[in-house]
Amino acid sequence: MIKSSFYLFFCILIATSLVILQETMSNLVWLISVNMPVTFAMFIATYFDNLFMMNGGGEVPLVALVAIGMSFAFLVAKILLIWVKISKSVAYGLAGSAAILAIVLLMPLAFYNLDILAGGRSITGKTILSLYGFVSGYFFGASLSSKVES
Amino acid sequence: MNKKLSIFAFTILFTLHASAVSVIYKYQNLAENISHPWGIAVIDENNILFTELTGALRIIEDGVLSPEIISGVPDILFAGQAGLSDVVLDPNFSTNRKLYLSFSSPDKYEKTNTLEVISAKLDSKKLIEIKTIFKAAPSRDTAAHYGARMAFLKDGTLLITSGDGFNYREQAQYLDNHFGKIIRINTDGSIPGDNPFINDDDALSEIWSYGHRNPQGIVLIDGVVYENEHGPMGGDEINIVQPAKNYGWPAITYGKDYSGATISPFTKKEGLEQPIKYWVPSIAPSGMAFYNGSMFPEWKNSLLISALVPGDVRRIQIEDTLSKEEILFSDLGRVRDIEVSPDGSLILATDGPNGKLIRVIRGN
Repeated sequence: MIKSSFYLFFCILIATSLVILQETMSNLVWLISVNMPVTFAMFIATYFDNLFMMNGGGEVPLVALVAIGMSFAFLVAKILLIWVKISKSVAYGLAGSAAILAIVLLMPLAFYNLDILAGGRSITGKTILSLYGFVSGYFFGASLSSKVES
Repeated sequence: MNKKLSIFAFTILFTLHASAVSVIYKYQNLAENISHPWGIAVIDENNILFTELTGALRIIEDGVLSPEIISGVPDILFAGQAGLSDVVLDPNFSTNRKLYLSFSSPDKYEKTNTLEVISAKLDSKKLIEIKTIFKAAPSRDTAAHYGARMAFLKDGTLLITSGDGFNYREQAQYLDNHFGKIIRINTDGSIPGDNPFINDDDALSEIWSYGHRNPQGIVLIDGVVYENEHGPMGGDEINIVQPAKNYGWPAITYGKDYSGATISPFTKKEGLEQPIKYWVPSIAPSGMAFYNGSMFPEWKNSLLISALVPGDVRRIQIEDTLSKEEILFSDLGRVRDIEVSPDGSLILATDGPNGKLIRVIRGN
């Protein structure tokens, strides 16, 4: 139980960090496209600033949203795994993907179609974010599997 | 020597005292329980038109709110920040009775909407001769950031502020659309021949300036256009707007996104205009007027900016470097718009479903 909680916690941190990476990248890539002098050092500084600000300086801490979304999706995945015979890693990967996608798609419904996560406005952005959700969930599933094996 | 020192000390003390004396004013309610008042147009001291975001154009006649709503306002979308927005009078309103309305125009089939401006003639309590003179393109699927304020230049052309639509912020940097622009048109909807991008095939000819976010205050003072705009989380701005200039949004900004993310790490760049003043944290500037009236001589030559957060009016003396500001009327809540009446009193609109129109006059 303690190990599972630790894996979940770590999975949430990975997902949050990756969502913030996408947010940072999407803003900076656009700035480069309009000839703004973005440097690698600026990218690093912006990413770490976003890590802090998106979890403590915005309207809602991103990590809390991700934690709620992931916990719910993983619970559903755990129940479904009783009947559906697929690998835990894939099942939790898909759940992670669905959780992030749900956050990106549902948030605008609460704010008159406004995309609060700017990095999720485009189809490409949504795809990347759901992929990041999959990676995080896959990590969680793989960790649980390795725990069972050991 | 002592006498000189005494005179000097007295002068300093007197000056300090004089500057510390605050102006005494009082409020008069012109209208109460009005639904999201948004724009005000003062016909004369006792006759005032105003819009409700929910879609009504209303009038205060001889100082009393008419219960009759002015008919003829087109269908509007009321959602989020969308609705019936600004109303301005034609410079020759006293003779031609023409006015201009900006609003969010729905396209029910496409489930989108856009900023539209119409001209119309006020015939008693009815709008007639209604004509669309501007429709922002492309339309949007969000209900936020319309800008939608209007002001006349001295040459009789109309400036319209057009917001970035929130989800379309990057479009403010491109000239093939109306997001995040200030538009200049003739009152019949045609495009003035001296617009800055009129000969640019890659730009829309109505565009006068670009790189704006959500400009909701615009006034002309001695031929100079002052504009204020909402920043994101921080970064509200006052700009002096000139044709063809790029005001930078979202490539440069002093604000952060609502998620907390950095929209741009840049606040300055050559070729992008700097605001003459900005606010961090935000005050949410919603309207702007220039005060040169006689009722409050202390406030002459000031910009008065209505603000939604926390809710007050900011007075900024033009002669200053705009670094100093006085906070007024902070007991009214969110102030949506401000106008100056010919007698020098101020007309304020407070925001919300139970909004008010308030006249500020000199107290005893």
